[in-house]
Amino acid sequence: MRGANYVLKRLAFAVVTIFVAITLNFVLFRAVPGDAVQSLRCRQCTIQFKAALREELGLDQSKWTQYRVYLVNLAHGDLGQSLRFQDSVWSELLPSIKNTMAMLALGTLFSIVFGVIVGVISAWRRGTIADKVGLWSGLVFYSMPPQWLGLMIVLYVAGAVGLPTSGIKDPTLGILGDASTWTLFVDRIRHMILPAATVGLVLYGEYALIVRSAMLETLGEDYALTARAKGLSNWATVWRHGLRNALLPIVTLVALSLGFIIGGFITVEYVFSYPGIGLQIVEAIDQRDFPILQGAFLLLALSVILLNLLADLLYFKLDPRITE
Amino acid sequence: MSSAFTAAEAPEVTAEARPGFLRTAILGERQAIVGIVVIVAFILIGVIGPFVTGDPKAKVGPVFQPPSGSHLLGLDGGGADMVKLLVNGARVSLLVGFAAAFVSILIGGVVGVLAGFFGGKTDIALMRLTDYFLVIPDVPLMIVAAALFGRSLRNIILIIGIIYWTTTARLLRAQVKSIRERIYVRRARAMGAGNSRLIFRHILPQVAPLVVANTVLLVATAIFAETFITFLGLGDPSAISWGRLIENAFTDDAILNNAWWAIVPPGVCVAIVVLAATMTGAAIEEALNPRLAVGHLSVRRFRMRALPSIGRVEPPATLPPSTGAAGATSGKGTKR
Amino acid sequence: MNEPLIRVEDLHVWFDLKGGVELHAVRGVSFALERGERFGLVGESGCGKTTTILALMGLLPPNASVAGAVYLDGENILEHGEETVSPHRWKDIAMIFQGAMNAFNPVKTVGKQIVEPMELHEVAEGKEAWKRAGELLETVGISANRTRRYPHEFSGGMRQRAAIAMSLACSPKVLLADEPTTALDVMVQAQILELLVGLSNDFGLSLVLVTHDLPVVAQVCEQAAVMYAGEIMESGTLDGLYHDPRHPYTRLLFAATPDLYGEGEVVSIPGAPPRLDREIPGCPFAPRCDRTFAPCPDVKPRYLVVGPDRHAACHLNDPALAKAS
Repeated sequence: MRGANYVLKRLAFAVVTIFVAITLNFVLFRAVPGDAVQSLRCRQCTIQFKAALREELGLDQSKWTQYRVYLVNLAHGDLGQSLRFQDSVWSELLPSIKNTMAMLALGTLFSIVFGVIVGVISAWRRGTIADKVGLWSGLVFYSMPPQWLGLMIVLYVAGAVGLPTSGIKDPTLGILGDASTWTLFVDRIRHMILPAATVGLVLYGEYALIVRSAMLETLGEDYALTARAKGLSNWATVWRHGLRNALLPIVTLVALSLGFIIGGFITVEYVFSYPGIGLQIVEAIDQRDFPILQGAFLLLALSVILLNLLADLLYFKLDPRITE
Repeated sequence: MSSAFTAAEAPEVTAEARPGFLRTAILGERQAIVGIVVIVAFILIGVIGPFVTGDPKAKVGPVFQPPSGSHLLGLDGGGADMVKLLVNGARVSLLVGFAAAFVSILIGGVVGVLAGFFGGKTDIALMRLTDYFLVIPDVPLMIVAAALFGRSLRNIILIIGIIYWTTTARLLRAQVKSIRERIYVRRARAMGAGNSRLIFRHILPQVAPLVVANTVLLVATAIFAETFITFLGLGDPSAISWGRLIENAFTDDAILNNAWWAIVPPGVCVAIVVLAATMTGAAIEEALNPRLAVGHLSVRRFRMRALPSIGRVEPPATLPPSTGAAGATSGKGTKR
Repeated sequence: MNEPLIRVEDLHVWFDLKGGVELHAVRGVSFALERGERFGLVGESGCGKTTTILALMGLLPPNASVAGAVYLDGENILEHGEETVSPHRWKDIAMIFQGAMNAFNPVKTVGKQIVEPMELHEVAEGKEAWKRAGELLETVGISANRTRRYPHEFSGGMRQRAAIAMSLACSPKVLLADEPTTALDVMVQAQILELLVGLSNDFGLSLVLVTHDLPVVAQVCEQAAVMYAGEIMESGTLDGLYHDPRHPYTRLLFAATPDLYGEGEVVSIPGAPPRLDREIPGCPFAPRCDRTFAPCPDVKPRYLVVGPDRHAACHLNDPALAKAS
């Protein structure tokens, strides 16, 4: 199989990076002066309680032992226990992850569709008004802090379009009798729209710029000129030779931007009180619930690493020149 | 087969002919200048302003008072004057931006230059390291680090600086590698120049422009990153930055009070500075590695127009055979 | 007399540049190409020869404007610009570019790219088209099963040959070749040139070869035109241009090339070509010419007939003026 080597190499790389992330995670949290339990704030956190908790969590043992235990637990899918809730980190995070994924999917879809359209047109009609609009709209949205954009949307847009600005469901639903699945579904979506739009707009800015620059590069290549010489229409040239080839740098650049997505959304969820993993992170920070924080960071890092692997494989599929 | 025309390099008869055109391909020189002017203006505001305004946090009126003659942007959730807060915010935000960028350049620069210069095992090892860090998501790491170690300006600067060293490292490594192979460096080495001399005298000066472009972009990233950290309440409690002002607006429920003057301005400031820095950085990069303007390709049409009044016309009459006028001194070489 | 296959009449091309500047890159070029003829267009870099042939196919950027006429079999294909020129692309006129390494899209197979114009212009499709693509590759000396390969799997010379095969996909009447052998090594250059000559002889393909490399032209073409600063200085047979140049530029050009016919020293022409963003009232070569005289800087030389199928734009050929020289 072509490039079996390449695929294996990328897989190995991903595995090692995951390991690095896990270790980094561990080191970070253990490097805090004092330990996790010490700064814990909760009602029943008396000194004795904390001492018992410390022992239960194994925080009184050597760092190496802790590290080993940590790794073993991870291998079993155990992310530890939340310090606030008597519950495993995983079961606390799981529902939030679903919420976040849904919202991000919506936002990313929006940003990709519009980013590609605007980027392609911008490059195609380079130098015209269309190009300037595309370029500047991209730059402007790319420069806005997502949380601020969220606030602006709440301030100016939410009221105008009548969309909710917090939470994920209308608390009044289902009180006066059962709400239908459809109503519940619509309600969910309505709550997702604004946060998704916020994330989507900031991402759109980045993608429009990326696609535009990739297209400018490919449309300037000799093979694009040859395509025109062969009689292909403008559209066919842009699509078959411009965009198809632009996918390569686009995939690379999008992969690099993943860290940004998987970060920007945290502040957006905070603004909209949207119960996703971002909001959980904020709450865990506030309450010093380090296991949750640690678990959440690990999950986020993992998803970025995996998405990068996906991007590598996609790149491999798209570019026949990679054979090693 | 070499060209016979060594006399002079003729300018290319295409759209790339004029020297300035390349640079204005993506973003104009004009934009770069505007960008620099904006940044310098904010720097001046940030440096000089706070001396003029005094303590920005002083309560000078009721909470969330709308803009008025004496307070052009109204008062925030603590009754403090927004304009003064913004001016101070400029100082802190820009300080964090430049300081963090500096840390990034330092780390990334060292890694990149070492990797590029020494090559071989050092290169591979360093680049592996860089690659791993590249993949770990920056914002979550930053947030976690800030949650653990934040709350002070110095730590925030360090955190941001450390997280963003990777791009600089890669950039410099590539540059240094190519410069290392250039003739004058090889010559210097042959003449016995030591490594550090080569690095400092020959290579660094060449990479400087690229570093400048990279720095500008890093400043934008750092200012942006700082807003994330402060928004989640992890910033330095005594420092007022633009990011902090956005956070204040949020936690003080500015929206409920319809106090747009507390929400809009700090974000606009961040956006403007980030925009300006991005434009400038991109324009500098463009000037250094100009992408060829799309010379030949058209995905849009050319135009037809009328013939100019003076055309070239072949008169029907023929002329007597060669008078030898033009060819008098020719005849070099013999027939094939 | 038969209508020539292509007749270019008074072709002008301008480029609008940033800053309101207009570059007059091609300034009234006229020449004719007969069926089966191999015609060379030579000149320094930047003299406008590439722009000229791009104009023949209408492959100019949006900041270009064109005036003049290009008659293909008697029909002016530039009459309505893009509309009238595009139907002829590849079907009647095809082109191979400088460094055809990049003429191929790296992510598509070579075969796919040869088949593409065939299907587009309804010359063939599907299996038949692929078969034909294989045959075209064989014609240029590449085995037919390479249609399934990607461009990066071909060597530089092979890629150029494949580009030639691709250009023949729709059996065009004319092939425009822009510096087809630059950046190839000497052995490969010779192969490519031989191939071009062979194709022209075997299939009656007309060829316009654009190059700054005189020995290449000498090897391939029978007729040629010499361009300078967007204008044609002289045209005629290679022999005539070499042995009996009617323009000082032609003479100096050939003199500056070592080994065209085996001997000679290199003579370079001092000075630089004129700027093209302004009108040039007289002869563009006047400042560098060694035979310049009174009328040259101010009066534009007419493109005079100086022999059978020979033209030259030089006052020295004008009997009325020659007395004064």
